[in-house]
Amino acid sequence: MADVTTSTAARPERVRAPRQRWPAKNPFSLGGIAIWVVLFLLIVAPVGCFLLLAVSPHLFDQGSQWFTLSFIRQAFEGYTGRGIFNSLWVSTLVSVLAVSAATTIAWLVHRTNIGARRLWSVSMWLLLLMPTWMMTLGWTDLLQPYGAAHAIGINTSWLYGEFFGPLGIIIVLTSSALPFAYFIVSAGLQGLGPEFEDAARIHGAGRTRTFATVLPIIAPAILSAIAISFAETMSDFGVAFTLGYHAHFPLATYTLFSAISNFPANFSVAAVIAAVLIVLTIPPIALQSVVMRRSKSYAVLSGRTRAPRRREFGRRSRYLSAAAVGLVVFIALGVPIIGALVGSFVQNLGDASGAGVHFTLLYYKQVIHPSIVDNGLGSPLLLSNQLGLVVASLTGVMAIVLARRLVATHGGWSQRITDIFLLGSVAVPGVVLGVGYIFFYNLSFITHHVVDIYKTLPLLMLGLMASALPGQTRFMAGPVSQIQPSLSEAARVHGATRFRTWRTTNMPLMSRVLVWGWLLTFTKTISELAISQILYPPSQEPASVTIQSYLANFESGTGTAMTVLTLVEMFGVILLALGIYRLVTPEGWRRTGFSVVN
Amino acid sequence: MQTHLHTKSPLRLGLAGAVAAATIASLVAFTVPAHASSNPGFVLYSAQGYDHAAVTAFNATNPGFTVTLNDNSTGPLLEQIQAEGNNPKWGVLWVDGATAFAQLDNEGKLLKHSVPKVSFNSLGKANVPTDGSYTPTGLTVTGALCYNSAAVKASQLPSTWAQLEQSKYASVLGMNDPSQSGPTFPLIAGVMDQSGKYQSGSTSKAVADGHSFFSTLAKGGLLVSSTNGPTLGAMEQGSINMALVQSSACYGDELNGSFPAIRVKYLNYSIALPSAIGIDAKQPAIVRGDAQKFVDWVMSPAGQKVMQTGDPEGDSLFWPVLNNEKPANKVIPALSTTNAITINPYIWGPLESSVNTWFDKTVVPA
Amino acid sequence: MSDSRVPQPVGVVIEELRKEFGEKVALDGIDLTIEPGSFVVLLGPSGSGKTTLLRCVAGIERPSSGVIMINGVCVAGPKTFVQPEKRKTAMVFQDYALWPHLTVRKNIEFPIASSSRFKERKVQRVDDLLERVGIAHLASRYPNELSGGEQQRVALARALAADVGLILFDEPLSNLDADRREQLRIEIATLTREAGATAIYITHDQSEAFALADRVGVLNHGSLVQCDTPENIYRHPKNAFVTRFTGVAGECLVTSAKPLDDAYFNVSLPFAPSHSFKALGVDCHADMSSLHFFVRASGVLLDAPGGGDGVCAEVIDVAFNGRGYEHVVKIDDDMSLTKVFSARRFERNANVKVSFESSACFVMPAKGVKGS
Repeated sequence: MADVTTSTAARPERVRAPRQRWPAKNPFSLGGIAIWVVLFLLIVAPVGCFLLLAVSPHLFDQGSQWFTLSFIRQAFEGYTGRGIFNSLWVSTLVSVLAVSAATTIAWLVHRTNIGARRLWSVSMWLLLLMPTWMMTLGWTDLLQPYGAAHAIGINTSWLYGEFFGPLGIIIVLTSSALPFAYFIVSAGLQGLGPEFEDAARIHGAGRTRTFATVLPIIAPAILSAIAISFAETMSDFGVAFTLGYHAHFPLATYTLFSAISNFPANFSVAAVIAAVLIVLTIPPIALQSVVMRRSKSYAVLSGRTRAPRRREFGRRSRYLSAAAVGLVVFIALGVPIIGALVGSFVQNLGDASGAGVHFTLLYYKQVIHPSIVDNGLGSPLLLSNQLGLVVASLTGVMAIVLARRLVATHGGWSQRITDIFLLGSVAVPGVVLGVGYIFFYNLSFITHHVVDIYKTLPLLMLGLMASALPGQTRFMAGPVSQIQPSLSEAARVHGATRFRTWRTTNMPLMSRVLVWGWLLTFTKTISELAISQILYPPSQEPASVTIQSYLANFESGTGTAMTVLTLVEMFGVILLALGIYRLVTPEGWRRTGFSVVN
Repeated sequence: MQTHLHTKSPLRLGLAGAVAAATIASLVAFTVPAHASSNPGFVLYSAQGYDHAAVTAFNATNPGFTVTLNDNSTGPLLEQIQAEGNNPKWGVLWVDGATAFAQLDNEGKLLKHSVPKVSFNSLGKANVPTDGSYTPTGLTVTGALCYNSAAVKASQLPSTWAQLEQSKYASVLGMNDPSQSGPTFPLIAGVMDQSGKYQSGSTSKAVADGHSFFSTLAKGGLLVSSTNGPTLGAMEQGSINMALVQSSACYGDELNGSFPAIRVKYLNYSIALPSAIGIDAKQPAIVRGDAQKFVDWVMSPAGQKVMQTGDPEGDSLFWPVLNNEKPANKVIPALSTTNAITINPYIWGPLESSVNTWFDKTVVPA
Repeated sequence: MSDSRVPQPVGVVIEELRKEFGEKVALDGIDLTIEPGSFVVLLGPSGSGKTTLLRCVAGIERPSSGVIMINGVCVAGPKTFVQPEKRKTAMVFQDYALWPHLTVRKNIEFPIASSSRFKERKVQRVDDLLERVGIAHLASRYPNELSGGEQQRVALARALAADVGLILFDEPLSNLDADRREQLRIEIATLTREAGATAIYITHDQSEAFALADRVGVLNHGSLVQCDTPENIYRHPKNAFVTRFTGVAGECLVTSAKPLDDAYFNVSLPFAPSHSFKALGVDCHADMSSLHFFVRASGVLLDAPGGGDGVCAEVIDVAFNGRGYEHVVKIDDDMSLTKVFSARRFERNANVKVSFESSACFVMPAKGVKGS
């Protein structure tokens, strides 16, 4: 108020305001610094520690050399070299396949009257929630000699050898990359007004040409999908560890793991491989960010947005297109679920002794009665759910803050760095984060002077957050970018405080993407394996680790039953969360914004 | 203030509150330390199947501190210990295979002269290191030839390691990958140890011999799987008929009914695989003292009993290293029938990484 | 609506206002005083800074330097920045900015919510506003169920609901078709004046500006070039930019110019060397060689070839506009005139006589001189 008096007092003489510069909006603002501190602690420092080992093993007591380049040569030789090469071509192929399929499906679902549309959207969601190790488990259970397919009377022996090779690896990795690509492209499609399609069709373009014409408009979304599929595939461990290993088809994440799991572990070679994985994702990221900058992003979510018209297929096309999408969904999602489900009811799955097929509830009984096996699924699953709850909630808050920063209009260099950094982080394998966490959070300086949380749940929690944050932010950036800035400006101008603006405008518009993002992180946290395996604290085993130890110890029946139960439980939580969302939110909240089923 | 804008029902508020409360409660539960006592106790890094039982029983003796169990596979445990570097969190390590301990000892990480004064039998004595840096707590053997008695008769089996090189055996033989399965490097080292070259004093020639042996097996069709589970699974599915694995894995499968037709044959030698326990030398004195109490207890009759009963179809199927103890189950034959040999972990341990890398490059992809 | 609710119109004073986006200067030292209760239209092409200026007044944008005072209170200055919600303004956005998750009623209610405690009064007030903007039947719809015109009415009602002394309009009609535009323009003018608020309205359409404004401010490249009544802007444009932007029929280089008196010049033009034309001189003390001749459409008279005193020209196009005919005529390759009105129709390719009314002719430097 003091200003008021001075300025009005100055009025009579009509004193010119001094041509004084206002403090320019600082890129190192408090909020910006806070974000980078968090990112530093979560990702930069641990991964950085790990990567430093590539050239300086002595820095972390892992050898005598202060500086050496010998591990770089070593990593590109022989077995590890082959792993890098395999990862590169498989990831390239997978990202192209996944994005082509995802773009087609997204267009069919959002822009045509294809049959059973909601089913396909929901399927994509379920697929997003399936970790690759569960997919592999399902496929293996199904196809193995005397496996689930045999139990239900289907001969798949011809497929077995094929599947345990590059083919199976590509199928599972494509299935896993498909949903992420689908949602990114869908967000792009929703931002694409119907007028472009209409214009193409009015000027005589057929179905294919319309598609080809409109495609470049959603090029940023497509490239973004390719970049993220590539990075996700490069960093996937579930397939590399199971299928890749058994098929004698080394992938970089496996050779990285193998360098670490040898005794004594060769962290330096592992660090070189990790660095290569990250560096290889730079070209697609760079391409995407160049295209992003060239094309204006579409901010389209406003009161004026209209639902795009759908292309009306004839009866035959409707069924044909639905059948085609159905086939993809069946291969990606149906087969592994059937495999795991049937597998969990067959006694001694894979037994060639000729004892015949016996369906049994034995494994479920073992899971449910902890007395039968020494450690049931109960407390690990409870712990996993608690972890999921905390990790998803905290990650959700951070991701929305980051996503808003990412799509801010006057972003400049700090925005670009955040963008590239987050995408690059997607390529960091969980194993690297896990071991990096030990190196950084167990540094004497940190444990004695900052915080001593190594071997505790909070550290596992941070690790899980670090692994979820980059993907989660990406996931939210699309929907967030579609919210017109004028909506919150209107609230401010009409008297709403920052908080009220957030509560009445931003939150409702983002509520759906927040809920779905939350569910995504929740389920990913429960099924996460690589970091959990390394960081879980004594006596507190998360469900995924328990399941994996059963699977690894030749008790796959029990392990599979646990997997199925965990999936069912996750599904229950999803339904519960969506139910709560329906109950607590006003109708308008559910009418707008990001949508899974539309 | 503006209740009209979004009608808030008590239900909505309640549910939203409940979600927030659950999140905060979980967060608090995670961050608040469970206890804080003057004697911190220690963390036991263990891959033994009976470790839960052992820790529970030991803590129940109320020694004035608590042992916390970090139960994981051998690989991740060693990985953690190595990554912890000079700021170790482990107090006691308890895993199978002395080679890893020998290397930790070479790095000065093990507390020397920590072997309890107990009456070891002869194989036990053979496995106690001269500097007393770790204690053998029991023995299994690796390089046992497990076979599927439904697919192959005992009379058709080879009886020496050399015979395995014949392609009729190698083509139906399986084993584990040493970089994923702890007990497998000692197996490979045992083969090298038994080669004539080593007996004549040349480790490098022995290594070359071993390379040539496993390369022959690989060419003959040896199937390498990651660990015991997948290897025995491949046998059950009929891809292979016999496998070189750890004895306790075969006895376990026979006992728990998951693979009733599995049987074990011992060739002209097998490799003794001590399960060993060692104390972290870098811990403060009070922790080292606590750790020593635990090791002493493990070697006491009470500890041995828990080891023999804690995992009846798995790791409890071992041969005791103490004079007055007997194996827990009749399925275990006399140790003498296994022709077990002991390898010097201080010679073979340092070769582990290079041998495993060679194996990964050469044998696994074949 | 009771008199007690009519807000006091407020004045706005802007001094030396600058705004930079990185290297780009959006506002280059704007000085502007807006009297309480007046309707000021800021006119300018896209990129002239008018939207930035409006957003600075609203508080959505933070100026780089300078002062903004609303109702005598400094809201933006070297050490002051009043948050938008504290400025007691309302705004109609170009894209309407209706909250898609709220019904029409709740959208309009939003600004009232923070200033009124009484629920019934609030309902009554919203009903009243819905009635006034003619969308009472749409109260429970969601924005995406409305047409563009209906949405803009909601946005207008919301701005009026705020009950504040200053309403800002950001090209509110640009997304509407011609019919609705006319209609809504009248409603905006009426309702805003009825509400007793000061209005700042931005547009790039001069006819819209002239129709609405008490005063028009013309902006170019971040500077306020001229601010005056619509009549003065039209009759006494300050420079070539203002002249062009507010509509000319034609423009050409001047061959020579001689001062006639304080205001007028005698000029000769290339297409009629023997003729002399009388035109208002603006800023003519500068370099005589770069002077241009401008003529407003209203100052061009058409006649049949035989009659009167004028220049010969050819009709290129003719368009009926209801009241009469708008012609495009070509005098020579360098001089054509557009929007030339005549009650009589001259056919295409016909020869005509063109004469100029001196009060609608200007002679001035071709390049608009910056600043006021």
